[in-house]
Amino acid sequence: MIQILVRYCTLFVLTLLVLTIISFSLAYLFPGDTLENLTGLVPQNEIQRAALERQFKLEQSYIFQYIYYLGNLLTGDWGYSFTSGLPLREEVGIAMPATIELATYAMLMALFIGIPLGYYAGIRSYSTSDHLINSASITTYSFPVFWFALLLILIFSLELDLAPLSGRISLIYDIEPVTGFILFDVLLSDIENKSLAFKDALSHLALPTVAIGAITTAAMIRITRRSVIDVKHRPYIAAAVSRGLSSWQIFFRHILRNALLPILPLMAIQITTLITNAMIVETLFSWPGIGNWLIQAIYQRDYPALRIGMMAVSTVVITLTILVDLFNRLIDPSREKYERATV
Amino acid sequence: MSHGLVKRLSLCLCTALLVSSCAKQNKQAFYNTGIIYCSESNPVTFNPQLDTSSTTSDASSHQLYDRLLDFDPGSGRIVPSLASSWLVSDDGLTYTFQLRKDVWFHTTRYFEPSRNFNADDVIFSIDRWRLRSHPYHYVSGGRYPYFESIGLAQNIASVERINGYRVEITLKRRDSSFLANLATDFAVVLSEEYANQLVQAGTPSKIDEFPIGTGPFKFDSYRKDHFIKYLRHNHYWRTQILKDDEVDSSAAQVSTKQRQEHAPLLVEQLIFDITPRSSLRLAKLMTGECDATAFPAQTELEVIRTKDDLILAEKPGLNIGFWAFNTQRPPFDNPDVRRALAAAIDKNTLLEAVYFDSATRAKTLLPAASWAFQNDADDTAYNPVLARKLLANAGVAPGFSMTIWAMPVERAYNPNATKMAELIQRYLRDVGVEATIVSYDWATFRRHLQEGLHDSVLIGWSADNGDPDNFYRPLLSCGAIPSGTNRAMWCNDDYDNLLNKAIQTDDIEERRAIYKQVNRLLYERLPLVPIAHAYRYQAYRNELEGMTINPFGGVRFGGVEKTL
Amino acid sequence: MPQFSLYEEEFHPSPWQRTWASFKDSHISMLGLIMLALFVVCALFAPIITPYDAVEQNIDGLLIPPSWLANGSISHLFGTDALGRDLFTRIVYGCRTTLGSAFITVVLAMLVGVSLGTLAGMLKGVRSSIVNHLLDALMAIPTLLIAIIIVAILGTGLVNSMWAITLALIPQFVHHTRSFVRAEMKKDYIVASKLDGASKWQLFIHSILPNMTEMLVVQGTLALSIAVIDISALGFLNLGAQSPLPELGVILADGLDVTYLAPWNVAVPGMAIFFIVLSINIVGDGLRSSLRKRVSY
Repeated sequence: MIQILVRYCTLFVLTLLVLTIISFSLAYLFPGDTLENLTGLVPQNEIQRAALERQFKLEQSYIFQYIYYLGNLLTGDWGYSFTSGLPLREEVGIAMPATIELATYAMLMALFIGIPLGYYAGIRSYSTSDHLINSASITTYSFPVFWFALLLILIFSLELDLAPLSGRISLIYDIEPVTGFILFDVLLSDIENKSLAFKDALSHLALPTVAIGAITTAAMIRITRRSVIDVKHRPYIAAAVSRGLSSWQIFFRHILRNALLPILPLMAIQITTLITNAMIVETLFSWPGIGNWLIQAIYQRDYPALRIGMMAVSTVVITLTILVDLFNRLIDPSREKYERATV
Repeated sequence: MSHGLVKRLSLCLCTALLVSSCAKQNKQAFYNTGIIYCSESNPVTFNPQLDTSSTTSDASSHQLYDRLLDFDPGSGRIVPSLASSWLVSDDGLTYTFQLRKDVWFHTTRYFEPSRNFNADDVIFSIDRWRLRSHPYHYVSGGRYPYFESIGLAQNIASVERINGYRVEITLKRRDSSFLANLATDFAVVLSEEYANQLVQAGTPSKIDEFPIGTGPFKFDSYRKDHFIKYLRHNHYWRTQILKDDEVDSSAAQVSTKQRQEHAPLLVEQLIFDITPRSSLRLAKLMTGECDATAFPAQTELEVIRTKDDLILAEKPGLNIGFWAFNTQRPPFDNPDVRRALAAAIDKNTLLEAVYFDSATRAKTLLPAASWAFQNDADDTAYNPVLARKLLANAGVAPGFSMTIWAMPVERAYNPNATKMAELIQRYLRDVGVEATIVSYDWATFRRHLQEGLHDSVLIGWSADNGDPDNFYRPLLSCGAIPSGTNRAMWCNDDYDNLLNKAIQTDDIEERRAIYKQVNRLLYERLPLVPIAHAYRYQAYRNELEGMTINPFGGVRFGGVEKTL
Repeated sequence: MPQFSLYEEEFHPSPWQRTWASFKDSHISMLGLIMLALFVVCALFAPIITPYDAVEQNIDGLLIPPSWLANGSISHLFGTDALGRDLFTRIVYGCRTTLGSAFITVVLAMLVGVSLGTLAGMLKGVRSSIVNHLLDALMAIPTLLIAIIIVAILGTGLVNSMWAITLALIPQFVHHTRSFVRAEMKKDYIVASKLDGASKWQLFIHSILPNMTEMLVVQGTLALSIAVIDISALGFLNLGAQSPLPELGVILADGLDVTYLAPWNVAVPGMAIFFIVLSINIVGDGLRSSLRKRVSY
């Protein structure tokens, strides 16, 4: 147990180190002058350049610079955005929770809709309802997420006028970001129209959550269904049937838990897809999340922002992935590491 | 067991989603307290003295600030604003302005005025861009493109305080466009008290990031790429005057509380929702997430007209869209090459495809709405044969490659520069010129333009006042090259002399004759190809009352109300 | 006189034939295959099929509605876009660009991924552990992020977005190859060849690779559908292929500017991407279930 924990901690730290090395080297890989890429300042003459280089430790060896960079990262001095001039830590601090919030709700949707439907389809495998669910899921799974989001906007916003299409909440509400999660922030705030604001925030969440969640839900259905079918063909199920257990008893005692185990590690992969989709959908719904922020940063070639944004997103994703893996290993130590189910 | 939980949770989610959609009615009252405007881009600064882009002046000039004088949106005449009256001496060199009393600057989180507006603020605001020695001159870059481009700083001899509410400005030469220049979006009045306070705090550049003005709204917060939030200025002087008329003359001493109750013209909040994509702006307008939107695309006008709850206001705009050549780069320094390229394109096609016929063909820089418009001016014609011949004579070999910079934002004068660039690209291919299209985000784009990295650029100009000088001088005079409004980087002494001659006189006929010569000169040298004068459009929801198109510069929300 | 046959005619279908037979039985899978074949034909013979040039502008025919609408014209099957380019032509060329570049991307990723995966699978001890861990962690980085970084370094363009997607796809192949190789290495037939004195290289070429092809085909179809979506997403976000290159995502983004006036400019390219991905997914699914059936018999 402790051994596993130590192993995962080393893995985590090592991966982060690799990431910092990559993000450190980006400053030298980006086109143009390294000093300008890092600071956004264009030195007017050689003296100024030398002074700036000294200030940002650019005249030192690469190894020293790397350690200096690492130190800055750890102390929270992440530099400043070219375009807005704000500290990047602040910007990431606002954008990141917005993405995590969206992704969390989408993941919950995928879990609460995808897994039950997957079980249902798996148990009734090769029946009409299974075929229906399966075809629906493969169709949804094939939607390019940006087009799906556009369709949602077209139908639910423009035609039916059921939900708004941009932002987290109507800008007319003045919500102080405390947790960064809009629903909690609304509840924590002391504005007068709290219930209105909450409903508004919910309606803003609806479409982007569905846009991201639908595709993950479809994937979840397929994964769960396959896993249930695999479990159903195991000898111990046959044994249970021959013992005379009812189908409900078999489901609850054997299938439910055994089918869940191979699904867990697959969720780790889904996190990556989910975040990618969230980043794309954010740009369509003007959701002020990290994806939107990064895409604006790349349009404007805001190199410091890209460097830090890349660090932040990959750290979050990798942390989540490793946590899921770790969790999976703790509850099921017999399983060989990284063994995953197939779709 | 877990099934029940799942069910209950999903039920909760469903109800929440349903409830959210049927609360439309009772929230309307609350929503009427704020106006949301979908703007197209990020302002560069909140001080329009520092930038000529209309995004900046939209977000600041008429919302946060006032000027000494204003244009009447209807007639275009110059009307009093912070200056209640003014006198011009007989030699046309001395202007005396009588300032309004009881005008208050904004009270915000970061500043609380201890005195009301007076002559010191006017002197500070003008001296900031006028005097290089002024402590604030080099704060935020030290470039004042509009004033530099018209050379106003050099022409002002002095700005004197006569008394607390009277200012005298003396010019070196007569300038018939002087008053008009003071009424433009850029000649805003800043707070001297705030500036001093910032100097003491050691953060002078905050004056442009956290603005203080006398305008109808005060700055609250700004998040780049997302929104700008303004709150009502409770002591706004215009609402004050209205109340004075209604009640009685002793109203000058009413308490703050009473003032707040009598601000009928202003909504509590004004929000700029920054939405670069025009189709998304229209979508938000249709769903009611925005009450008004900037620059509806030409392709969307029909859609807006067919919707009952949307209003499309239109006016012929004082603007010009053009294709400028970087005349400091060979071979574009050769007028024959420029003429050849101009002859290679068919302007009428561009009008049809890009403006969808919501623009008139431009022959000169001036639109027909200007009094100096010359109907019989020469114009270039589509003639690829001539183009090829001229190019060959100028030694430009077939297969020559050049860049066309297409501005990344929509403007009335050019609603889709990329599309226009693609069309021009095709025309140029016909005459053996390979064009590549270049675009960056708006801020970078303009920075690189100023550095002169372009071969040619599709851009334009919206007038800031009705004076013809406002077109000719910023766009092509030598002084406008460093200020970055002369996109052709063209400098011609004859041209500058003519322009100077024109503003020395008040005689309209004389000026008109001079501008004719200017047009002739431009036709011969062709530093840029005028393409179109577009209509100005503004789309808004029918709940908004009091929206008008301001033909001279930025959008105004003071006095706009929301009713439903 | 009836022919007399001494031996009962015995026919042993090859594994692939058995898979195909099972695949053929599923109507849906066949439909998917036909659809995919159609797109492939479009991609291969784009210049023959299309009546116009993909980038040729036609000023006299801006935004002509598609032929099934009342005021449409049969000369432009899907109508035209804001620059008067024939949408049908652009879509067909778009299939070519999108599908073609996705295919190249997948092949590249597969080559690199399989070599690395085999290496990782055959290695033991610390080296293997480091490679595995790092790859697994890097696998978690979202494609879009990799693409953004690559665009920041190399600039936008179809080729650069292909690099990004290749990079993002490699870990999957590595992962699957590695687990496959590891599983196979324990099997008897490998042990037998080892005892015969086969070198590692010989083991891989003669024993493992032939058994791996099926897994690779299945993984390949999965990767192909991801690659199509990613390439068009990058084009759509203006980070990949650039206008006027006919790439489905780019066409869709171009169409967004005229959504209200000409909704078909958004609908048709979206449908095209959707159907390409759908057909690939159906074929992949069919293939997998056929393989599964074959193995389980």
